[in-house]
Amino acid sequence: MRLSRLAGDRRGILAAAVTAVLLLTGGALVFVAGRGPAAPPQPAPPQPAPAVAAPASPSTTSEAPPSPASPAPSGSSVPPADATSPQADFGPLLGPSDPVALRIPAIGVDTRGIVDLGLDRTGRLEAPKDFAKTGWYAGGPTPGEFGPAVIGGHVDSQSGPAVFYRLGALRKGDVAEVTRADKSVARFVIDRVARYSKADFPTATVYGNTTDRAELRLITCGGAFDQSTGHYVDNIVAFGHLVVR
Amino acid sequence: MRTTTRIAAVALGTATLIPFMGAGIAAAADGNTTATLRPVALNNVPASGTAMVEVSGTRIDVTMAASGLLADSPHAAHIHFADEARHECPRVSDDSNKDGQLNTTEGGPAYGDIVVSLTKTGDTSPKSGLAVDRFDTAPGGELKYQRGSINVSPDVAQAITNGESVVVIHGVDHNGNGKYDGDKKSDLDPNLPTEATDPAVCGVLRAAPAGGMDTGAGGTSDTTDEGMLLLGGGLLLAAAGTGTLTARKVRNRA
Repeated sequence: MRLSRLAGDRRGILAAAVTAVLLLTGGALVFVAGRGPAAPPQPAPPQPAPAVAAPASPSTTSEAPPSPASPAPSGSSVPPADATSPQADFGPLLGPSDPVALRIPAIGVDTRGIVDLGLDRTGRLEAPKDFAKTGWYAGGPTPGEFGPAVIGGHVDSQSGPAVFYRLGALRKGDVAEVTRADKSVARFVIDRVARYSKADFPTATVYGNTTDRAELRLITCGGAFDQSTGHYVDNIVAFGHLVVR
Repeated sequence: MRTTTRIAAVALGTATLIPFMGAGIAAAADGNTTATLRPVALNNVPASGTAMVEVSGTRIDVTMAASGLLADSPHAAHIHFADEARHECPRVSDDSNKDGQLNTTEGGPAYGDIVVSLTKTGDTSPKSGLAVDRFDTAPGGELKYQRGSINVSPDVAQAITNGESVVVIHGVDHNGNGKYDGDKKSDLDPNLPTEATDPAVCGVLRAAPAGGMDTGAGGTSDTTDEGMLLLGGGLLLAAAGTGTLTARKVRNRA
């Protein structure tokens, strides 16, 4: 056996060993990076915020747009009630009681201890300080009362998923159950899940009266994460309404 | 067109605010407001509800639900406001005659005067404040009210969007006999018992939150793993290089 051959073999073994180490380390890193906490589920990209006056869900599109000569009837879509008209149907309603727990089986949310949320100096809704807890906008109706009750939660912390990590995976028909301080459970069925740009946020649609029912809004973050502000650029909002158990 | 109207409304709102400048920032006249209606102190009505008012310029759309009210009796309902009022619901300390009940006048320092009468038909001005035949009668104790396109003054529109107006539903069955009666007369109209006009439930119309929520710290966002991915990919490329070298060695030997 020649010396050079031996040396060549050693180099080959070394190269093979280095290759193995590089493959293992590189592969592991790619695996971890790819698998990591995967990016949270996202509904369809942000839609342009609907004009405040536009109906929440446009019905048919077959009608020709109103011509300037014949403007659409002005005024509200809500006809003034008259003495003989039956009372409006607002669906099932519950009395006031603060929320204490939230269960959303479809996305594995089961959280107790809902914190009260207020508005900051600029009028924006605060987020819960605890990434594992949801918060309820205490300035609005309690869940089950007439109008939209708002519950927000983080999608992630700096290190991993938070309580509303999978909110974007909610689908129409999924159920969210809010247990209230009086021990009653307000059961909501999800109608839709949308993603809105925070820069063009449809405040009236999210926080306002859109369907004349007891409603629920579940809010978390979505879209791209802006490293310069430390915030996500979109919000994911799930809309639901109260049903009788 | 709409934008023009809104700009005009904002301009108008700002103009009316100029005398009060320094008191605060001029808010846009459009907005959504919500009041959670709760029992008025001392009057002990087991009722509650929600009132929602959407302001578009000087036009408001009102939707309101309440339950637990005296059934099948007229319930006067108003939006109250006065510049000098506290813009809140009355407290026990507002019972100035110390009779253990709060009447509408005693609530004045808290919520101000009637600025909109939430009648079902016809006039909605303060003049209709006691038009008992045109208010909801709460069948079964449930009041369900919807009325759009109520015109208000720019001042009132601004007060509502500023969170300074208060919704009050009146009518309290103090003696619990299922109707408005009793010897005590109303402070507003001596022809009515005080039960017919005392405030039952009350709530401040507050502006909806502005904008979205900051509910994420980025720990699972796509961008955070890029470094790791790049490093791993680089190492894999290097492995391809040394691997080729090894293979060449093996081939050379054969």
